[in-house]
Amino acid sequence: MRTLWRACGLAALVWLLSAGPSLAHAILVESAPVIEAQVLPGDIAIRLRFNSRLDRGRSRLTLIRADRSTRIVPIAPEGTDDLLLATVSLSPGTYIVRWQVLAIDGHITRGDVPFTVAR
Amino acid sequence: MRLLVDLFGYLSIIIHGLTIVAQSMALGGVLFLVFLALPLAHAIGPRVAADTARIAAWSALALIVSEAATVALQAAVLTDTVDLSLADALGASSAIAGLIKMACGAVLAALLFTLGTTAPRGLLLGVGLVELMAATLTTHAAARLDDRALLLAVALLHQFGAAIWIGGIPAFVSALSRVTDGEAWREVGARFSRMSLIGVGCIVVSAAVMSVLYVGAPDALYGTAYGVMVGAKAAMFLALLALGYGNARVVAHLRANPAAPVKRMKRFAEVEIGIGFSLFFAAASLTSVPPSVDLTADRVTWHEVVERNTPVWPRMVSPQHDVLALPALQAQLDAEAAVNATKAPPAFVPGGGELPVRNAADIAWSEFNHHWAGVFVVLIGVLAFLNRAGLRWARNWPLVFLGLAVFLFLRSDPEVWPMGEEGIFESLRDTEVLQHRFFVVLTVMFAFFEWRVRVGGWDNKRAKLVFPLVCAVGGAALLTHSHAIANVKEALLIELTHTPLALAAMAAGWSRWLEIRLDGRGGRVAGWIWPLCFVLIGALLLLYREA
Repeated sequence: MRTLWRACGLAALVWLLSAGPSLAHAILVESAPVIEAQVLPGDIAIRLRFNSRLDRGRSRLTLIRADRSTRIVPIAPEGTDDLLLATVSLSPGTYIVRWQVLAIDGHITRGDVPFTVAR
Repeated sequence: MRLLVDLFGYLSIIIHGLTIVAQSMALGGVLFLVFLALPLAHAIGPRVAADTARIAAWSALALIVSEAATVALQAAVLTDTVDLSLADALGASSAIAGLIKMACGAVLAALLFTLGTTAPRGLLLGVGLVELMAATLTTHAAARLDDRALLLAVALLHQFGAAIWIGGIPAFVSALSRVTDGEAWREVGARFSRMSLIGVGCIVVSAAVMSVLYVGAPDALYGTAYGVMVGAKAAMFLALLALGYGNARVVAHLRANPAAPVKRMKRFAEVEIGIGFSLFFAAASLTSVPPSVDLTADRVTWHEVVERNTPVWPRMVSPQHDVLALPALQAQLDAEAAVNATKAPPAFVPGGGELPVRNAADIAWSEFNHHWAGVFVVLIGVLAFLNRAGLRWARNWPLVFLGLAVFLFLRSDPEVWPMGEEGIFESLRDTEVLQHRFFVVLTVMFAFFEWRVRVGGWDNKRAKLVFPLVCAVGGAALLTHSHAIANVKEALLIELTHTPLALAAMAAGWSRWLEIRLDGRGGRVAGWIWPLCFVLIGALLLLYREA
């Protein structure tokens, strides 16, 4: 049953992957850090703004390090309906913030914000 | 299982399309029952109402199934990727809206299956309204940041218009078959024309508002995927209006002469169902792309459209297979692996989520395929014309389709057997390959059936309808066809050429349908239209370019 449920989960990734980030329904309209930016080490404010109202409690931010290891980044409760806010403390290196959002209309989409923390 | 994700992605659009069809037929059936079949029962008999109740009940059941699939898929992905409990996943506002839609479908089905035509009309309409409101909460409008209330209102109006008009047509066709005298036909036709006009009004008003707020500017109509699909929907809407106008004229004739023939009204309504449902699938496809106003980067300019579509001489010589990007990359990986005495990784894993690499030779390969396919299709159109004009041997034109199918099977996906190293079943995890194979099967199917009809003397009515149906379904499927190309602009420039092909294929299918089903002048005119559509499709293919 669990396998079946997981299979259904993967099936539902349809919305995530069928059209690719740039063609998906909810799209990222602004990000900090901006894509491919260089930032200073320390506490880094992540601010992602979308074209849709989001269900933040059912959305997720994941930090992917250069060695492909990952960790979940808690989403701050404040901000308007189209914003995802978070803070991460990072040392120099290359990173990707992978976002997955549930829009209020039920569409799930995802995308990446790659950036570098300078020495 | 993870490799099947792309495949499931494509199927989700199909599920969404089925949900829109089921919802429209359920609500359209209820409206037809309450405002036409029951009030006119004295004139048209009680069996029309019973038929309509049955159509609406089964559609409500279909709505439950398709919506359940949607809610289950969404809940499954949230529990799997965000580590939510099932209850938390089902607490999302869109999931709640989906559950309400299912509950409404269940109430409608229960009422109509158990009480039939005696089900309380007010309750049927009330439950239908709740379903429509819940459905509106799963449209683009619900997630908009600006003008949300207005967009929700027009989204509701849009769906209501689609239900009362297009959703009611199956019940209308059923009613036309059930009644037998001119006066009853006139009553049904006149009342349904008025209901359809209300539907058209709702659609026009709501579409105008949505065009302003979602598309924004005229250049977005060709510059964004959303705009292109809206244009395709508008073209299908105009075709439906033309057919509806034809039906209104039949009703006018019936008013003057109750003995006037009504066959044309039935046949036009059948075609309206086909085009209307194709329109619903285009709408489902539309929900997977962001509204044009949100897409400010990566738009295609008019100059780029003109530049890409300026005719050049077709490419009749193919590049060699081994200079294509994937075989070249595989050869390089094999060479590296041989040096290190290891096993070479595959250059491309179908369904793995990565887009295949492409080079100039791949573009030339694809253009060569499209151009030769164009030669095949022009030949089909010309032979069909000659056959229509009386040239007997030209009736073998469906055999040219078999040649086209073999050509597409061999050439459309060079990385797949027999030209490439990927196995056929393994390659089907790639959505684009799956769609190409689907089109090959469709081509073989209608070639075989149409050839047997024309040469083998098959007089089976259903066999005759295979060619137009498959042609129209293929056209509708082409509207949802996507190319796995990372560059958004390039993908859109290709889509801009495929959308007219899809519309022409649908026009060909439904005009052939009318040629078979409609007697007299109408059928004869339709018989000249579809070969013309094939010549047009062939010409578009011959002009196709990817660079």
